[in-house]
Amino acid sequence: MEFYGYEREDGSVGVRNHVVLLSVDALANRTVKGISRLIKNTIPITHPYGRLQFGEDLELTFRTLIGTGSNPNVAAVLVVGLEPSWTEIVANGISKTKKHVDTLTIIPNGDHKAIEKGARIAQRMVSEASELRREPHPLSSLIVSIKCGASDTTSGMASNPAVGEAVDRIIEHGGTVIFGETSELAGAEHILARRAVNEKVRETFLSTVKAYLDFALSKKVDILGSQPTAENIAGGLSTIEEKALGNILKTGTKPIQGVLKPAEKPKGRGLWFMDTTSSAQETITLFAAAGAVVHLFSTGQGNVIGHPIEPVIKITANELTVKRMPEHIDVDVSGILKGALDYREAGDLIMKALLKTASGKLTAAEILGHNEFALTRLWKSM
Amino acid sequence: MKILFIHDESDNVAVALRDLAPGEILEIEIGSKTEKIEVKEPIPFGHKIAIRDIEKGSNIIKYGEVIGIATDKIVKGSHVHVHNIRSLRY
Repeated sequence: MEFYGYEREDGSVGVRNHVVLLSVDALANRTVKGISRLIKNTIPITHPYGRLQFGEDLELTFRTLIGTGSNPNVAAVLVVGLEPSWTEIVANGISKTKKHVDTLTIIPNGDHKAIEKGARIAQRMVSEASELRREPHPLSSLIVSIKCGASDTTSGMASNPAVGEAVDRIIEHGGTVIFGETSELAGAEHILARRAVNEKVRETFLSTVKAYLDFALSKKVDILGSQPTAENIAGGLSTIEEKALGNILKTGTKPIQGVLKPAEKPKGRGLWFMDTTSSAQETITLFAAAGAVVHLFSTGQGNVIGHPIEPVIKITANELTVKRMPEHIDVDVSGILKGALDYREAGDLIMKALLKTASGKLTAAEILGHNEFALTRLWKSM
Repeated sequence: MKILFIHDESDNVAVALRDLAPGEILEIEIGSKTEKIEVKEPIPFGHKIAIRDIEKGSNIIKYGEVIGIATDKIVKGSHVHVHNIRSLRY
């Protein structure tokens, strides 16, 4: 199985060829947006943080920003920050990929001059990137991430097992898949733990899930209303355990190679677990920062999530969702519940959509302009 | 076309594949056995129906695994949801 992608200097293969304007901090957002209005084919990535963070929380922000810029879907990056010190840290991190990286600071330029300087840099980057061409690459070059959202009982009956079928095939072809959603594994972690590649991974996996749940319990609040969510309950899911047992079906049947920190790159091929929230915009941001180039997203009630640089393919088995929200659905596997489609055939549909998307076909979320990007914060700012 | 989806033979709940109305008599296949079940109350598409009588305090089984505990006696054919089951985790 092959797709047409962009090979980068570091040997990684992307499925998009984006020029990214990356805010280091919230104060750079106006400049980043200003440049993106002047220069076509740039992707502005803005966020509300990046000042006065410290320790592990700051490390995660840096890892996420550096990982986003380093993602194989990105051809070149202009890093924009208020001041040079943190701007350089982010730019130097991305430079390790050998792609074109430049920096711009608001001090001492001010917004007007920064936008002009940035526009000139971005124009060159877009011109250079437009010369790159797609080439055929094996499926084994792909890093795919998976997460479901706005789940209901159709997720566990059909769309998640169909994604699981696709995940098994990606891995059989030598590809890499990342899953996460630590909080949503409660009630099913014992089943996943059996698939850990060795005892050490098994222990790390279980202690990671336990730590997340202990954190929630330590706050002494009822998380019902958060897990399951209101739309999960409307769709017939009653408890976190029920949601988790449906959730894990999308991970297929292959061994779990290891546990990754949020936004950490997989250390090899196969299936990897990343410690993440279950919030879609944060989780996909972390997966993309770990180098995932396409996302498979199964939904029941209809989630509309996208990402600025990682295409998100929406898959549903809920016939009502296909009817109500057709503009958001890329792959309709509702035939499974009508007996018109078996899991293998549904897996074929997902693989076809994956290879097409990886070769350049735009997803519904990309066409609709869904570009959700959200940093995960671990601590308060200083 | 199937009306109820049962994940595992040991389950005591099934998922409705269309809206169910009170008084409907459905046939379910569990393993090699066929049983009749009378729908006791309206059950929307995607929601769960009890396929056994479930005592208060006993486990709700779906996917062959425990998904929660009954907070009330649940009669076969009734709607099983947040009003009569709760998580064992939170």
